[in-house]
Amino acid sequence: MLNELKVSKIKIITILSSLLLAFFILVLITCVVTHTTLPALMTSLASKEIQFAIKLSLTTAAISTFLCIVISIPAAYALARYDFFGKSLINTLMDVPLALPPLVAGVGLLILFGTTSFGKGLAEMGLVFVFTPLGIIIAQFFVNVPFMFRILRGTFQGINPRYEHVAETLGCTEAQAFWRVTLPMSKNGLMAGSVITWSKGIGEFGAALMVAGATRMKTETLPISLYLNMSCGELNLAIASATILIVISLVTLFIFERYGGFARVF
Amino acid sequence: MYSEDHGTLKKMIHIENISKDLGEFFLRDVTLDIKEGEYFVILGPTGAGKTILLESIAGIYRPDSGKILLDNSDITDVPPWERNIGMVYQDYTLFPFLTVAENIGFGLKSRKIGKGETRRKVDELANLLGVSHLSHRYPATLSGGEQQKVAIARAIAIEPRVLRLAPPLSALDSRTRDYLREELKRVKEEFGITMVHVTHDQTEALVLADRIAVMMQGRIMQVGTPNEIFNKPLNNDLADFVGVENIWGGIVRNNENGIVAIEVETGDTIFAVSEYQDGAVKVFLRPEEIILSEHKEDSSARNAIKGRINELQDIGPLTHIKLDVGLIAHITKQSRESIGLQKGNEVYAMFKETSVHVVRE
Repeated sequence: MLNELKVSKIKIITILSSLLLAFFILVLITCVVTHTTLPALMTSLASKEIQFAIKLSLTTAAISTFLCIVISIPAAYALARYDFFGKSLINTLMDVPLALPPLVAGVGLLILFGTTSFGKGLAEMGLVFVFTPLGIIIAQFFVNVPFMFRILRGTFQGINPRYEHVAETLGCTEAQAFWRVTLPMSKNGLMAGSVITWSKGIGEFGAALMVAGATRMKTETLPISLYLNMSCGELNLAIASATILIVISLVTLFIFERYGGFARVF
Repeated sequence: MYSEDHGTLKKMIHIENISKDLGEFFLRDVTLDIKEGEYFVILGPTGAGKTILLESIAGIYRPDSGKILLDNSDITDVPPWERNIGMVYQDYTLFPFLTVAENIGFGLKSRKIGKGETRRKVDELANLLGVSHLSHRYPATLSGGEQQKVAIARAIAIEPRVLRLAPPLSALDSRTRDYLREELKRVKEEFGITMVHVTHDQTEALVLADRIAVMMQGRIMQVGTPNEIFNKPLNNDLADFVGVENIWGGIVRNNENGIVAIEVETGDTIFAVSEYQDGAVKVFLRPEEIILSEHKEDSSARNAIKGRINELQDIGPLTHIKLDVGLIAHITKQSRESIGLQKGNEVYAMFKETSVHVVRE
């Protein structure tokens, strides 16, 4: 009896703290979305500035996600399948952007593309990253590529190489076996990786701010727009950006939970 | 043309001194000949390197040294997709995102065979292996036996010269296993495919094989017919592995017209067929070769060793009996009941001189 009571106490305390935490999150979201009225929100959403921010965010995130996929597929495959010199060092380095504050990553990118001869060379070829939408893309790519990489590495590790072996005995070359067997078997991982990379790309602020700056109607993504409008008191426009970001986060979370079951980010 | 004692079949796969080191698993100086149309079984305990040997023949691993010849041409450096060697793994490895029909047709697509022809061939194979009613299902919904059949159909579809099977039957229930054994033999006959089958299951090897190679710790220890492998193991380890329960050290005392009298370590004298005239030998006797009786006169067997029953234990259809003199016999339950064997009974263990296998120590 005594023991039961003891257990119940712990049960009550722990459940209460989880409820508290959930309530806190819910309150926060509700505060944002109810801060303005629906008509005001609709007007803001229809405004040129917000429209621009939505479009810029969607495109930059889509392009940076695509880049993450293209680079991560071969890189993650190599680290999942082969043993080679320096493998563990590479694995560690790939995690660095995860731990690095985005602002620091942004400073690095700014120096690389703004001051080095590499960056100047690219600029002469027409690829200007500093204070342009290209800078937003490279910032999103750098900060988010570890997510894609880690998910794909886990996915490839989870696929028994025997599937490729069988495909090879059935006449596929290594490349064909990868294309016809490994890639279709990685569908869920690719899906989960793309969704999380894309949604994190949409929300990317610190690194993008450093490289691309916060110029209205030029490098104004949704988070930049939120920041700009908040600082000059355009509360309705700021709330519109925030609401869209919340919706995107929730949808992403749902898709990720659904398809990302076996793909591990961390 | 190549010929050897075991039949007139052409030598098809010739493996010469291949070694491969994959850390936990390895091959050491493996030399082996597999003949056209043969059902060849590689038998060995888990971790002996059987699957790497298969994968090396298929070209998935390139041996560190040595070479592999297929029909007299060196294929050591030929990639797997150009070898035409089908492979069935123990875990079937059906492509989970493709239907049964698409799995069977996978290799045909690689070979750029037209849609109509592919469909016809897939239907034919699905029929042959009795899986045509499953064509549109996905592998995850199939039973182990069904997956196995689809894996075989997929491998046969490319009309391979050789079909290599990793322990495919051991995971199945005994009825499905018996059925598939028949099926594998039928496939071999029908397509004239050379089969190389890997297993740790002795019954499987005994039932299927034309010839068996016993593999231990990355090496081939003995190659021979099932009879040779099970009744005439070359050494102690092999005898132990193939279930020869009675192993004695002994000295040859005399040899009269090929029948030797061997004094074994227990003090008994055992008669056997052998050419040895003298010296130290090992004596092997399978437990199934022993008949137990209460009277010495009941049999024409030359050997009769008296002992008391220490232990009786049922092992499937047989009873495992241990005598106090260290002898182990396997007899059927029926004969156990008919002579009413009990623990503590005094019996004669009788066996023929031809059942005893003698090797030099």
